[in-house]
Amino acid sequence: MSSTPLMSSTPMVAASGLVKTVTTYEGALTILQDISLEVAKGESLAIVGASGSGKSTLLGILAGLDLPSSGSVSLNGHILTNLDEEGRARVRAENVGFIFQSFQLLPGLTALENVLLPLELHGVDNARTAAADFLGRVGLSQRLHHYPQQLSGGEQQRVAIARAFASNPRVLFADEPTGNLDSTTGARIIELLFELNRELGTTLVLITHEDRLAQRCQRRIELSAGRLLASVENV
Amino acid sequence: MLALRLLWRNWRSGEVKLLAAALLLAVAVVSGIAIFTDRLQHTLVQESNALLGADKVVRGSHPHDPVWNQAAEEAELHHTTATNFASMIYAGEHMHLASVKAVGEGYPLRGQLETSTTPFATEPDQIEIAKGIPAPGEAWADSRLLPLLHLQLGDKVAVGEYELRITRVLIREPDSGNPFSFLGARLLMNAADLPLTQVVQPGSRVQYQWLLAGEPSAIERFSTWLEPHLNPHQQLVDVSGNQRGLGRTLDTGRRFLLLAAVIGVLLAGVALALAARQFANRHVDQVALLKSLGTSSGRIRRLYFAQLFALALVASVLGLLVGEILQRVVAEGLWQAYQIRLGSATLYPYLISLASGMICLLFFALPALWFLPFVPPMKILRRELAVSSLQLWLQVALAFLAVLLLVLLFSQDLGLALSVIGALTGVFAITGLLAFGLLRLSRRLAGGAGSVWRLALANLQRRREQTLVQIVVFATAIMLLLTLTIVRTSLLDDWQGQLPEDAPNHFLVNIPVHEVNTIRQLIDERRYQHQPLYPMVRGRLTHINGVELSETSVAREGVFNREANLTWTDTLADDNKVVAGKWWPQWQSQHGLPGVSVEEEMAEEAGLRPGDRLTFSLGGLSMEAEIASLRTLDWRSMRPNFFFIFAPGSLDEYSPTYITSLHLPAADKAFINELLRAHPTVLVIELDRIIGQIRTIVNQVSDGVQLVLWLTLAGGCLVLLAAVTSSIEARKQEVGLLRALGSPRRLMLGSVWLEFSVLGLLAGIIAVLGAEILLASLQHWVLETPIKPHVLFWFAGPLLSAVLIGGLGMLSCRSVVNTPPAIVLREAA
Ligand SMILES: Nc1ncnc2c1ncn2[C@@H]1O[C@H](COP(=O)(O)OP(=O)(O)OP(=O)(O)O)[C@@H](O)[C@H]1O
Ligand SMILES: [Mg+2]
Repeated sequence: MSSTPLMSSTPMVAASGLVKTVTTYEGALTILQDISLEVAKGESLAIVGASGSGKSTLLGILAGLDLPSSGSVSLNGHILTNLDEEGRARVRAENVGFIFQSFQLLPGLTALENVLLPLELHGVDNARTAAADFLGRVGLSQRLHHYPQQLSGGEQQRVAIARAFASNPRVLFADEPTGNLDSTTGARIIELLFELNRELGTTLVLITHEDRLAQRCQRRIELSAGRLLASVENV
Repeated sequence: MLALRLLWRNWRSGEVKLLAAALLLAVAVVSGIAIFTDRLQHTLVQESNALLGADKVVRGSHPHDPVWNQAAEEAELHHTTATNFASMIYAGEHMHLASVKAVGEGYPLRGQLETSTTPFATEPDQIEIAKGIPAPGEAWADSRLLPLLHLQLGDKVAVGEYELRITRVLIREPDSGNPFSFLGARLLMNAADLPLTQVVQPGSRVQYQWLLAGEPSAIERFSTWLEPHLNPHQQLVDVSGNQRGLGRTLDTGRRFLLLAAVIGVLLAGVALALAARQFANRHVDQVALLKSLGTSSGRIRRLYFAQLFALALVASVLGLLVGEILQRVVAEGLWQAYQIRLGSATLYPYLISLASGMICLLFFALPALWFLPFVPPMKILRRELAVSSLQLWLQVALAFLAVLLLVLLFSQDLGLALSVIGALTGVFAITGLLAFGLLRLSRRLAGGAGSVWRLALANLQRRREQTLVQIVVFATAIMLLLTLTIVRTSLLDDWQGQLPEDAPNHFLVNIPVHEVNTIRQLIDERRYQHQPLYPMVRGRLTHINGVELSETSVAREGVFNREANLTWTDTLADDNKVVAGKWWPQWQSQHGLPGVSVEEEMAEEAGLRPGDRLTFSLGGLSMEAEIASLRTLDWRSMRPNFFFIFAPGSLDEYSPTYITSLHLPAADKAFINELLRAHPTVLVIELDRIIGQIRTIVNQVSDGVQLVLWLTLAGGCLVLLAAVTSSIEARKQEVGLLRALGSPRRLMLGSVWLEFSVLGLLAGIIAVLGAEILLASLQHWVLETPIKPHVLFWFAGPLLSAVLIGGLGMLSCRSVVNTPPAIVLREAA
């Protein structure tokens, strides 16, 4: 898919001087202020911080879903801030996978069809077998034709993980992937995430409130009121 | 193809079903109506042409140019001739001034000749449809000719220098000639024998007809070619000129069908727009997800539009099928009820139908979906992010454009299209204002109400904008349905009123002065309804204010250029109305001339005014009269009507005959025979057949109207359903929440029911008000029927609408209220 020639030293995600301001009824509001960071290939990064500190906003900008007010972002060597929405869409298609807190499965589609969707969009051959294969890897081979309503929260999140990994992304962004799950189920989801991260060499950027999850990441950064507080290297 | 796969998945999850249903209905409405009216139109033209005996006739005092025959054949038209003249015919010592018609092979080209071997036959099994024309040497005669000449079938009569054997009696024939111009009994003979009789000499009074029939387009083309070749003594005639009253009825019927079609499409369109909106709202998340997966806006647009077009294609084809089946059902019903076979339709209505499906899609559904490709991908992380959809006014403007296009497609009449748009704008403005006012009022009233009421009204208030839109949609739908129902009823009444059961159906003409009393007695004995016996003299207008008619601008107009029936009376018939000048007792001549009252339209054509002088030629004598008054009259009344009515006594010396019309019940048809046996000079003109024909036509149009009404009703229900389900969608979560918090089921259902009932009531009130306004303007400007209030609807409209919408609301909410709150909440999330 991607043919970008890269030296292994280039980071997967790099941001410098990110500022995000939005205009509200009360005037301009600064959500992110002067944020710079780098995530190396294959690395796993946790973003933590209080509610409303700007985590989701940062994730959206890093993933190319949104643009910063100033500063620049690059993803796998593509300068997102120089691209238009179509260009960013192309970069996302080739490099990015997502997992969200509220699982974002399409209610009208079965588990298999939900996983199929990105594969079909990318025109992958043998999409069906690939999708079924991934569902098998997250332990849902018995539930291929069930609709999201018929699945539990943990099962739904596993479908979402299968969907995210099925298109073989270089970097996976996750916004509180275990936020809606009990701790046991959450733990299993975390296991699954890191297992795939190891196996496929996928870079992980995830937002979490859970220490346990943050601990598993190689590095964690903390946001507070839109500023980068600390960057901690886990061992 | 991915789009098709997505469409299939959307279909499976029920998200596009309403969309498809609305589209299907739009196409079904259009196709049902368009195909039906097309077929109806063809049939009507063909049927009326049967009265003429052809599609078009060249009529005149000179025969047609034989060179034209070849031109007609090249144009693939059928043609033949008929020659009419009055001639004294003899049988032994008896003679009669007969009205002879010599016809060519193939006569009549439209309609048929009905003959019998029994004079005065009335029973269907005695009557036979002729397969050709009389053979050379033979003739078919009017039944009354037999007693007039004391003849039997098989006897011979002399026409000029030639003898013809009478082999059959002629019961009925198509005839385009003016029945008043030849008063004698009919003798139908073969044109081949005409030279042998030697009756037609240069200078004799003969009316030549050249009959033409063929494909409508070929006829039109040929007419255009022929027109410049006609000499001043020839006229090209078709039915439209012949039957004014019927033409008007048909016109009104067509306009109604058109109106109904537009309303039906509009309703389907609104349903489509609502369904599309609902579809779009449900798909915002999906689009955001697709975008996060790296799908570009362009790709998303293509994916969705491709789905939509595929859906439109399938729905249009199915809609066409439904429309086709529906119109076939009605056509079959016509066959069962009236033994009428409708002609086949042209391709045009089918094309219109498919086009209208696409127009509905482009102008009603697409605008509602337009914003989907622009959903920002960030929506996937921030659910509350606002998505800007296409401005509502732009969507409405596009919808209006669609209606304009559709009306134009249908009617090819820009004036009509613009007036429909004007009316719609008015309707929307009025409904919007009224809805706003009523909503404010209901808030005031809600202050001291119980909890169910408070919840219901609070809901309406909170979603004010949505409520407003809903009321406008409900009200418009109900208003259009009410309007259509009422228009239909009053149209049918109006048509039935034009042809009351006891309308005169026979004219008695040429009654000699000395038989007037006996005939009046004969009719009165049977208690038949009849008009007065009017004296009648045939005369021709020669001068207007001393200027010869041939020098005036109206010299070539048919009504002025032929013999007219002149009468005199002192009392005006009740359907005549004096619009200028004065009626006899009050009138004073300026020139000391006898007075004459002139029909208004005719007067207008020639610019005649009271006080103008007219000179008439009556049997070679000339008389001058002064216009005393102008009158309107009702040509549809089937009574003797006259262009010129003179003051009593002014025509006494011109040896009048008398004329009247009477209503003869169908079972008493034999009375004519009795009358004719005793008074063979009398000419009976049977209008019952024409009246029957008009009735059938009215029935056909009414049935069409009925079908359309049902289709529109379906459209209206679909709109209601779309509006209700889309608002239920919006409150799923709320209901789940309230239920989770422990609100009892009854309270929930009760408040939903109340909410929708109030909505329905408000919409109903507005609808009735709007419908009355709409009706008044429609009846005044478009349909030209009398305006009257419909008190029953003032109460029934709001009530019915409250019950209907309340019921619909509760029904669609039941599933939500009945499902456990947890599941509702999970789905809603
Ligand atoms: N488009 C916007 N308009 C207005 N305010 C915004 C917008 N986007 C973000 N915000 C505000 O910026 C702040 C940060 O939002 P963000 O969603 O990034 O927080 P978060 O750290 O993800 O919080 P949580 O842990 O609760 O998800 C919030 O106060 C939010 O209300
Ligand atoms: Mg967040």
